[in-house]
Amino acid sequence: MSGPALRASGLGKRFGRSVALDGVDLELPEGASLAVLGPNGAGKSTLLRLIAGLARPTSGSLLIAGTPAHHPAARARVGFIGHASLLYASLSARENLLFAARLQRVPEAAARVAGWLEAAGLARVGELPVSHFSRGMSQRLAIARGLVHDPSLLLLDEPFAGLDPRAASRLAAQLASLRAAGRTLLLVTHDPRRAAEQCDRAIVLAAGRVAYAGRGDQAGAEALERAVLAASDAA
Amino acid sequence: MPPVPAASSWIRRSLLPSGLALAGLALLWILLVARAPVDGMQGVIQKILYVHVPCAFAAYAGFGVTALCSALYLWSNDERYDRLAAASAEVGVLFCTLVILTGPIWAKGTWGHWWAWDPRLTVTLLLWFIYLAYLLLRSFTEGSARTARFAAVYGIAGVFAIPLNYFAIELFGGAAMHPDNLERGSLGAGMGWAFLVGVLTGLAAFVHLLLLRTDLEALRAETAEVEPTSGR
Amino acid sequence: MSVLLAILWKDLVTEWRSRDRIAAMLLFSLLVVMVFHFSLPGGVTKQTQASAPGLLWIAYVFAALLGLNRSFSIELENDALAGIALSPVDRGWIFLGKTAANWAILGAAQAITACVFALVFDLALAAVALRLALVVGLGSLGLCSVGTLFAAVAVRTRFREVMLPLLLLPLLVPVLLGAVRATTGLIETGALAWAPVQLLLVTDAIYLIVSFLVFDYVLDE
Repeated sequence: MSGPALRASGLGKRFGRSVALDGVDLELPEGASLAVLGPNGAGKSTLLRLIAGLARPTSGSLLIAGTPAHHPAARARVGFIGHASLLYASLSARENLLFAARLQRVPEAAARVAGWLEAAGLARVGELPVSHFSRGMSQRLAIARGLVHDPSLLLLDEPFAGLDPRAASRLAAQLASLRAAGRTLLLVTHDPRRAAEQCDRAIVLAAGRVAYAGRGDQAGAEALERAVLAASDAA
Repeated sequence: MPPVPAASSWIRRSLLPSGLALAGLALLWILLVARAPVDGMQGVIQKILYVHVPCAFAAYAGFGVTALCSALYLWSNDERYDRLAAASAEVGVLFCTLVILTGPIWAKGTWGHWWAWDPRLTVTLLLWFIYLAYLLLRSFTEGSARTARFAAVYGIAGVFAIPLNYFAIELFGGAAMHPDNLERGSLGAGMGWAFLVGVLTGLAAFVHLLLLRTDLEALRAETAEVEPTSGR
Repeated sequence: MSVLLAILWKDLVTEWRSRDRIAAMLLFSLLVVMVFHFSLPGGVTKQTQASAPGLLWIAYVFAALLGLNRSFSIELENDALAGIALSPVDRGWIFLGKTAANWAILGAAQAITACVFALVFDLALAAVALRLALVVGLGSLGLCSVGTLFAAVAVRTRFREVMLPLLLLPLLVPVLLGAVRATTGLIETGALAWAPVQLLLVTDAIYLIVSFLVFDYVLDE
């Protein structure tokens, strides 16, 4: 366990003959927050899934605190919140979290789960099956699921998509407090302003390559917007 | 962009020599078979064995190659192994089909019936089914990386199933009716050379077809690489 | 190990909530038993009793195929399989957890089917119940081990319902041979023959170990 939170060198991923990622270089120190933008099909989700250890790179290397991303030890440090909720509709919220906690070998799982349910504002509906949840509630639960083992590196794939303004601001506040607590954050988003608000650095992916890398905060927001538009036009 | 492993030029260069070797062996084989003595008890139909046995060798060799390349592919992630595995399965199933066709023809002529559930026949039939399942799995999976991986897993499972099946059927199946001609002296006089050359010809045919098919697969991969696209 | 238990618990709880998998498996195998009974000319005789073990295991295989398919098709909803793949353990444990759950659920269906079978075919199974349970348990372990591995494969191909039986049946021949032999021996003589049980043990061991080792490749994207 050493080195930056995340280091990708020449990272590439091919699915048969189509190239999803090509020669991506990235380095994130602990506590940094990175926004990943780009048009659809640029490879953003693939990048996240590689970091989460769900897929293996076909070239290059990917290290999470010095350990290759595909090793089980690396997966313990990563929390993944993807497009889909990863939840079981017939299980209750509490059972879903309990299952995730056990998968992650969290000690004293039951107590921690109760805490997370409380924090997500779902304690009252904890025993309801997830099939009864609204989108906002599922989203909150999905995020709690990704955080249940207190990972140091958080991966979020378009978490703001489809959220109403209240839910979105709630999520934004949650992410801000996680950043304040020193977690490393990797956020895929379509919205440059969201990126600017949440992250201190940003990259734009286009056709599997890093087309732009710069500051994600307010100072770099304009350049970021232009880069995103350029990438979308080129795609 | 990382280069795709190119078609092995050694495969292409081997096509001509292996083709010539095959032609030479085949000629020799035909000569030997024609001059081999006609079996006293079984008659001329016994000569179909000179086709049946080499095909059986090739059929089993085929799955051995597929299984080996499957394991190598999973270990190294080099898609050349996958191409070889797929080619070997296609060529192997061809020989396996020939075994299953020539066997009953000979059986009808000598045992008097088309089929018997003895260990060797049954396992060869099962091998045929495993081959077909492997090839169907390849056609029905989408995405060439996933296809390669799934097929490799099945190739490995299949290679364990074959000896297991053999022992299982031998323990419990029908009585062994197959002539056990792997022992010395079980062949009549004058048949030895024809058999040996026959087996070599069969293996040479397998190798040549395998090289051809692998080359075709590599060509396909190369032409598709000209236009790489991004995205999943 | 704890991950194995977690997955086992999750699958059993999910199944208990809906009970759809076991209902389908039971219904199907009972239908199969009925069809066998009707299709045998002359009703139950000594000869048909001799073929009963084979028929029983055919019913079991059909039930297993149904259940195995379902065990992974539910993981495709909400990308739940990715959630499991995130677990920081050797993925062979995930395979074992799934296999254990499939084995347990199949076992429940098998027990009930066996009772109905005994009734329909007029077999005295109660006397050999424990030994029969051992044989059925070993046989199903063989079914569920490669079955779970290839259910995970088949569920991500086209025509998944057809793919699984095609892939699995050739591989299951040694399991079925051993299981049917052992079952026949039990019903006829009441004694457990060592040879088929030995075959089952060897086959189960090989299939479990091989599947454990390659499961990682099946979960990869």
